Amino acid sequence: MYDFTSESVALLIIYVIIAVFVLFFPLAFMYSMLFGWIHQSSRQKKLLAREQKVAGIVGGDNIHTLSKPINLEQISQCGLVMTNITVSPSWWQLFVGGIKSIFGGQIQSFDNVLAYGRAEVMQRLREQALGEGWSEIINVRVETSMVMNKVKGRQQNKLGTLEFLAYGTGIR
Amino acid sequence: MEIMTSNTETIPGFNITKSLGVATGSTVRAKHIGKDILAGLKNIVGGELKAYTELLMEARTEALGRMMMDAAQRGANAVVNVRFATSSVAGGAAELFAYGTAVVVEQE
Repeated sequence: MYDFTSESVALLIIYVIIAVFVLFFPLAFMYSMLFGWIHQSSRQKKLLAREQKVAGIVGGDNIHTLSKPINLEQISQCGLVMTNITVSPSWWQLFVGGIKSIFGGQIQSFDNVLAYGRAEVMQRLREQALGEGWSEIINVRVETSMVMNKVKGRQQNKLGTLEFLAYGTGIR
Repeated sequence: MEIMTSNTETIPGFNITKSLGVATGSTVRAKHIGKDILAGLKNIVGGELKAYTELLMEARTEALGRMMMDAAQRGANAVVNVRFATSSVAGGAAELFAYGTAVVVEQE
């Protein structure tokens, strides 16, 4: 018969805490490896659906990089429109990217993340244009910057976090 | 009076009558360590880090607001050719900087 004294309970709690700390990172890494692609493909599917929806409403594209309007002739109002997103690769993608960067060449896992981030930020700009009632957004620019994370007290970008900023001039 | 902003060289449909120099606005923001830890956990499956997105957008909006206040003090009614710059300062802080040319415009 097991004797539940306060000491044994405290010991059990300590064991559980140690087990969580030891097992969490391997389990999370396994999860990232096995199910990360499901999350990624669901994100890309959602984005594609939104792109098609906006294209259906506008009939083409309502953002472009020219400095003069294409369709609109009489402009009554203009204003700066900007959106951003921060994206980062999953643990598994970081791991694969790290190994591939030893040999060089194309790194597919980062490619997908960056392509998704850019497409998403442009889509948000389109949606914001629709939401705020701009008929066109001209002179669109997309900028990229790194988000620094503190790793062991030092400023690094180990998580690979990137920020995309898209901005342009909305006209109506 | 509302200040019009644009990242084109002219405000479409308006004529620039006077240039009043460069209007600038900046803000330095840092995120607390909890956000870094949570971002590390979100990173397991990758994708968007909403906490960072919101923080950076908030900071950039403030920088833009300061730039517009600067332009208003110069007596401008529009800011053209607005640009953004981001730089990281020591200690995980980021500086967000917005600048543009403060001008007086008239409707054509």
